[in-house]
Amino acid sequence: MKVGLFIPCYINQLYPQVAIATLELLEKLGQDVYYPEGQTCCGQPLGNSGYEENSKGACQIFVENFKEYDYIVGPSGSCIYHVKHHFDILEQTPEVIKVRDNAYELCEFIVKVLGKINLGASFPYKVGLHKSCHGLRGLKLGSCSEKMDAYYSIEENLLNQVIGLKLMILSRKDECCGFGGTFSVFEEAISVKMGKDRIKDHIDSHVEVITGADHSCLMHLEGLINRNKQPLKVMHIAEILNSCI
Amino acid sequence: MSHSKKAEIFNKNEAKVNWHDKALWYVREKRDLSAHKVQGWEYLRELASGIKANVLSNLDEYLIQFEKNAQKNGIKVHWASNAEEHNIIVNNILAEHNAKKVVKSKSMLTEECHLNPYLESKGIEVIDTDLGERIVQLAKESPSHIVLPAIHKTKEEVDILFQEYLGTKPNFGNPEYLTHEARKHLRDKFLKADAAITGVNFAIADTGGFVVCTNEGNADMGAHLAKVHIACMGIEKIIPKEKHLGIFLRLLARSATGQPITTYSSHFNKPATGKEMHIVIVDNGRTEQLSREDFRASLHCIRCGACMNTCPIYRRSGGHSYDATIPGPIGSILSPGMDMKKHSSLPFASTLCGSCSNVCPVKINIHKQLYKWRQVIVKQQKQPLLKNSILKIAGVVLSKPRLYSLSGKSARFILKKAPKFMIYNRLNTWGKARDLPEVKNEIFDEWYKKRTKNG
Amino acid sequence: MGREAILISIRENKPTLLPLPDIDLNAFSEETNLAERFKDNVKLVGGRIKEIALADLDREIKEMFPNAKQIVCELENSSLGNISIFENTDPHDLALIDLAIIKGDLGVAENGSIWISENQFTLRALPFITNDLAIVLSKEAICLHMLNAYELIAQRERNFGLFISGPSKTADIEQCLVIGAQGAMSLTVYVV
Repeated sequence: MKVGLFIPCYINQLYPQVAIATLELLEKLGQDVYYPEGQTCCGQPLGNSGYEENSKGACQIFVENFKEYDYIVGPSGSCIYHVKHHFDILEQTPEVIKVRDNAYELCEFIVKVLGKINLGASFPYKVGLHKSCHGLRGLKLGSCSEKMDAYYSIEENLLNQVIGLKLMILSRKDECCGFGGTFSVFEEAISVKMGKDRIKDHIDSHVEVITGADHSCLMHLEGLINRNKQPLKVMHIAEILNSCI
Repeated sequence: MSHSKKAEIFNKNEAKVNWHDKALWYVREKRDLSAHKVQGWEYLRELASGIKANVLSNLDEYLIQFEKNAQKNGIKVHWASNAEEHNIIVNNILAEHNAKKVVKSKSMLTEECHLNPYLESKGIEVIDTDLGERIVQLAKESPSHIVLPAIHKTKEEVDILFQEYLGTKPNFGNPEYLTHEARKHLRDKFLKADAAITGVNFAIADTGGFVVCTNEGNADMGAHLAKVHIACMGIEKIIPKEKHLGIFLRLLARSATGQPITTYSSHFNKPATGKEMHIVIVDNGRTEQLSREDFRASLHCIRCGACMNTCPIYRRSGGHSYDATIPGPIGSILSPGMDMKKHSSLPFASTLCGSCSNVCPVKINIHKQLYKWRQVIVKQQKQPLLKNSILKIAGVVLSKPRLYSLSGKSARFILKKAPKFMIYNRLNTWGKARDLPEVKNEIFDEWYKKRTKNG
Repeated sequence: MGREAILISIRENKPTLLPLPDIDLNAFSEETNLAERFKDNVKLVGGRIKEIALADLDREIKEMFPNAKQIVCELENSSLGNISIFENTDPHDLALIDLAIIKGDLGVAENGSIWISENQFTLRALPFITNDLAIVLSKEAICLHMLNAYELIAQRERNFGLFISGPSKTADIEQCLVIGAQGAMSLTVYVV
């Protein structure tokens, strides 16, 4: 079984430690992981801004890069969501369909495909989980607070197995952080306010480390935390699951 | 002015934003609690959505059936293609009865048609009788929410407003006192009204009747006292059978305010002896929306307002920032169909978080339609030059891995080496309130290559 | 005026016919004590509820509304009414009514609402314009949910009727719930 590692553009450039943790974690779980060269971007920023037409080239490159793998795994829910739900703008060749069907967000891959939840990690901190919207409501990584379905959370299941980790309860369990891609600059005032409110919820809940399965949300929150010098650390869930502290 | 500009102005007063956010979040929480008590909630939503989809696919037949049954029961039915026709029809009915004083209960349709100013220009007094609507009417504003029209106003603001217009005593914003003073004021209006105008929540094809839901009882007070009752409805308010109300009424109030049902769910089938009952069926752009496959489902809406209460952007920008009859997520997919140029910023006033689609009792895929409107708007409306060129260039760069790798390097170089004042300048919207990520020495590509070589 | 234009436009623009979904009522069935659930929900929506013997009705109502002067009673087996109304009574004359007593047809446990219809009261304005409203409901006439309710009221004379749930209320000023907006200030349900 060949796993193609999809590292979103901004993670490659700005958060290499997240990519490294993802790769190490998958290898630790016995996976045969390949990192295809020439990855650019899934096209999400363009699509979300209304420029889907201009993103076809990027989408096509994505399919070219990953068509030979059994699974495509990436540490970013929103990018995977984009591949699965918005690659309908491409001609639906067998290759495109295969890539869309086999693209997985990291946590989902570990739990659903590999069937594992205890990864032998330890991380002795109070952690707040930011449930990113595209992962939660789009990929259904967990039940949503709006719906009356039975409760579950793939990310919480994984974090609850981490030795020493204490998952803190937030007052708003799955409210959006306000990143929203280009929304973060085109609707700057609201985006910042939403981020501030999310952070306040984590601080009020005595969180030491905010984590999540989508680093774009975390980048936005980290930008606010650093600017306002708040006592919180931000880490991708892959980094925590790969920790042995 | 775009949504973002208005939202930025609203956000100048952070305490008010917090207050507004909490007030609406409280309603969202009540909705959750209430829905949790219903066995089969998600199935109810499924059914409601299925029924509405059927309605749209057979709308002409249902309307004809409704008209026939209503007429059989002595209700007079009128049809209006647009707002202007609607206003003329209403005015003509009023003129026939020489009605000069009109009481009106909540109807977003009459807001959409700007009926009040039209009737006022004909010398008719129109009093909005829903308390929230009366408040915004006195303040000469528009509703900022479809269920809670005055949610943007504090009780102290209402206190001052009522002192000026209703002659109330200063009371530090006592809601009970203010409500009861409004009751007296409106009682008088009801008793003197010549005609009553109401909206319609549901019109039933197989009986020719219609249902109006209120908590205050204002629609009934108006309709049963005045000699003429005019009910105005959009064509999409039709449901096939009376038994379907059993589904919609279970969903409506719970989604709207968390109540298990509104205080009054009144079923009008026949005019009372000696009185007249009229229905005005209005298109005003709805059949055009029906033609748009991607946006058709927006016509499922039953106007509960749940998407507003849950929307993190609506809660923090206020209803008026949308500058549309219907604000919030549902308004953002309806309004561009009415006037794309005016409302072109609305589909972008969202992070596409999807909470709106999840609370919607008729399962409108609101966030997916927002995404689709963005594609349409970028193609059909002129975009800001900077945004347009950046995103189009990005499209080219991202389709060429080598060019991309080069541009990544230079961007990182700039981020890392440039002095702070060059990065955090007024062109950098991101950096106004947020730091940029710290640039590491190595990108993952480089790390991976090294590892492969060494490995 | 716009009738033909609208119908033509719909025919041109509507999608192909989609089926009307079947409703599986089993999905909503629950084991529950209907009377208790109904009682709890009447209170939840701001109403008062009392279970009494029919013979005690007049005494109970008098105790509850000692100051009611002008009373319209639409029940056959009560002597409390002192104002008579007829179909041709001007509804405006009801403005000073203190108390109206009417019969309810059906209670709905899931939401505490009661179906009342013009067949049980002479003038449509009555249950709204009266200051206080009392509804008398048979204990046997309580169903679980709204889908059941519509089955049970299907065979009625359709003129005017409503599901009423508690007294008139509003939360339009800062989300503060206030009882007594434009309709009746209180609702008391007597289950007999």
